[in-house]
Amino acid sequence: MVQAIYFDGRSTHATRVEAWRDESVLRWRSASDTREWSAPWLAIEPSARVTGVPFTLHLGDGGHLQIDHDALPADWFARHHLVERMVDWLERRWMAALAGIIVVVASLFGLFEYGLPWAADRIATHMPASVENAMGKQSLAALEGRMLMPTTLPPDRQSHLQAVFWRFTNGMPDAPGVRLKFYQAKAIGANAFALPGGTIAFTDELAAALPDDDAFIAVIAHELGHQANRHMLRQVLRSSGVLIVASMLMGDVTSMGGVAAGIPMFLVDSHYSRGFEEDADRFAFDALAGHGIDPEAFVRAMQALERAHPEWKAGQARYASSHPLTAERIARAHAASRRFQAARAPRVASR
Amino acid sequence: MLPSLPGGSLKGIQSMHDETMASGVYLPELDVIPARDTTEVHRLRFHGNAGDYFRIWIVNVALSLVTLGIYSAWATVRTRRYMYSNTTLGGSPFDYLARPLPILKGRLLTVLIFAIYAFAGRIAAPLQGVAALMVAGFMPWLIVKSMMFRARYSSWRGLRFYFSDDYGGAYKWYLGVYFLMGIPFLAIVLATAAGHPGIGMLLAFASFTGLYPWIKGNQQEWLVENHHFGGKSFRFDSEIGNYYGVYIKAAGVSLVWFLPCIALFSTAAVLINKGNPQAFNPKMPSPYFILGVYAVMAPAYLGVWTFVHTRMTNLLYNQARLGQYRFRSTLAYWPMLGLYVTNALAVLSTIGLALPWARVRTARYRANHLQVIGEGDLSDFVRDAFAHGEIGATATEMDSLLGIDIGL
Repeated sequence: MVQAIYFDGRSTHATRVEAWRDESVLRWRSASDTREWSAPWLAIEPSARVTGVPFTLHLGDGGHLQIDHDALPADWFARHHLVERMVDWLERRWMAALAGIIVVVASLFGLFEYGLPWAADRIATHMPASVENAMGKQSLAALEGRMLMPTTLPPDRQSHLQAVFWRFTNGMPDAPGVRLKFYQAKAIGANAFALPGGTIAFTDELAAALPDDDAFIAVIAHELGHQANRHMLRQVLRSSGVLIVASMLMGDVTSMGGVAAGIPMFLVDSHYSRGFEEDADRFAFDALAGHGIDPEAFVRAMQALERAHPEWKAGQARYASSHPLTAERIARAHAASRRFQAARAPRVASR
Repeated sequence: MLPSLPGGSLKGIQSMHDETMASGVYLPELDVIPARDTTEVHRLRFHGNAGDYFRIWIVNVALSLVTLGIYSAWATVRTRRYMYSNTTLGGSPFDYLARPLPILKGRLLTVLIFAIYAFAGRIAAPLQGVAALMVAGFMPWLIVKSMMFRARYSSWRGLRFYFSDDYGGAYKWYLGVYFLMGIPFLAIVLATAAGHPGIGMLLAFASFTGLYPWIKGNQQEWLVENHHFGGKSFRFDSEIGNYYGVYIKAAGVSLVWFLPCIALFSTAAVLINKGNPQAFNPKMPSPYFILGVYAVMAPAYLGVWTFVHTRMTNLLYNQARLGQYRFRSTLAYWPMLGLYVTNALAVLSTIGLALPWARVRTARYRANHLQVIGEGDLSDFVRDAFAHGEIGATATEMDSLLGIDIGL
């Protein structure tokens, strides 16, 4: 005999009953022994087991029997909901919960470190160039006239830098159709950025801060690295992916939870961005060396940037920053420079 | 209007001390008729505990991640069943009856739509604008479908809830009325053209404050009156003045919250950035600046949102009626705010692990402050004649992603 509550599905009247199994029939009768009901065992649909949740035995005619979580005999409906039975077994164990935390952390790490970048890069390789061009135009249109003003560099300085740019990029297989554009950008300060579709925007402030043409080329080489590896498209795809995954995990993009999700999303985006910056730096070191320019020029460019942006030094936080720490970038440039000189030394000596 | 929505989201239902009740406007029979003997108070109770719910939640999250989201639909059903079935009225649990497969289908479609939307904005802003307009056009339909889904798969004592497919009403109250909001802007334009921009602003403010509470009140009425249970339809005895009261007070509350917060933040920002004119780089604001904005604005936002939400929820229940039963919602502002603030802090400082605990205590508070009052033992509801066909889950999935604040 199992204590249960019977609802006939036609009203909200609750009847306390006792239920028992009689071969292939489930029978139950009211506690006052006045009425008895029955239903074929095979027609009954039990609910899956969840800790603390009463079982509901759906009777097919809309009625149901409600049996307390702990009161259902173990041999009743042992073959129903096999998967959820296993899940329930896990849910009742604190060890499984601990393992669950580890699994969640590990799979989130795997997802954001490998899975999502991989998937986004796959999609990026299938994106037509027109999408990238549209993206570049859109970003430039949003900045031109607001942040980016017409350049005030003297024409001869411009044409000199354009000539240096052209000499460097001409014949570079990774950078087809790149253009260099100068802008005055008081709000942004000394900076340069690569837009999808081939435009490199270079601020007057940066052009003024750089000490020599090789440092200028170092900056250009870094931006070409972004162009060649389609970093902006890939970053956009990745951060869209982060947004989608995060909103699926949090369930709601607009509530307080969504606001809280903004912080980890920002950190993950910055993590990807730092990876791309390192890529672009490596590309720049190789390109400089390939043109016979000592990557030490990159160090001079970084130092010029630092002088132009004293606030960067104070405000750099490793994990929140979109760029690697300047000191690390300089250290890597020094290392690249040493390799460059080591590679050149034997040739010089043999001559 | 379902009393059966403890289901999950941190957005709770809540309000201040029950002065609405004290006034006796909404429950005249309580004061007028000395019917103490026959009038019964049926309390909602929440029996779940954080430990059980945490294990269920973490195991299901882990399985969802490992299966790349496929299992998430089953996870949703299990966690929702836990929350629903642990909420009881008159000793009987609510039941969540949705099946995982439709939820999975709806979820996949939602992800696809959202992915296209998220990416469209990066390529061309007009494209995203078009998409946003389309979403706005579909919003009322989405609300109806979502409400139908929630009602269809919520049951109590073997009877399902039902939400009427009143698309006309949805388009009227969730889209049409917003065109009336054009009136304030029209007022600005006209008055400015006539050379009185000040009067225009005043007119705009007046018509906005005149319209908004009225819209919100009518939305609640529409929502409640389209719900049905046990052969009876929910009725709504709405007093539009209540809504003006809530929003006028809410305006005061936002002043009280935002002014000190903004003052505090500006002083801090000025002090920190002294002698550093380039600190506010608009292209790359420092992460500390962004964090600061969050840290200061979040409590203010939460303070105001909680106030409106608490008061509106109380209005929703306290003006509703089902057969001879009434509802009494006595959510109070300060306890509710305390609940949300501690929840937010706990969830943030445990990187989300406290989420189950937060949900359980919110559900408990909300259940403890909702009562069903009436002459009867709740066993007099009968099966209605509505056709309870299956309803797709896409709308409700989109609704939970976009967080449409339907107000339940």
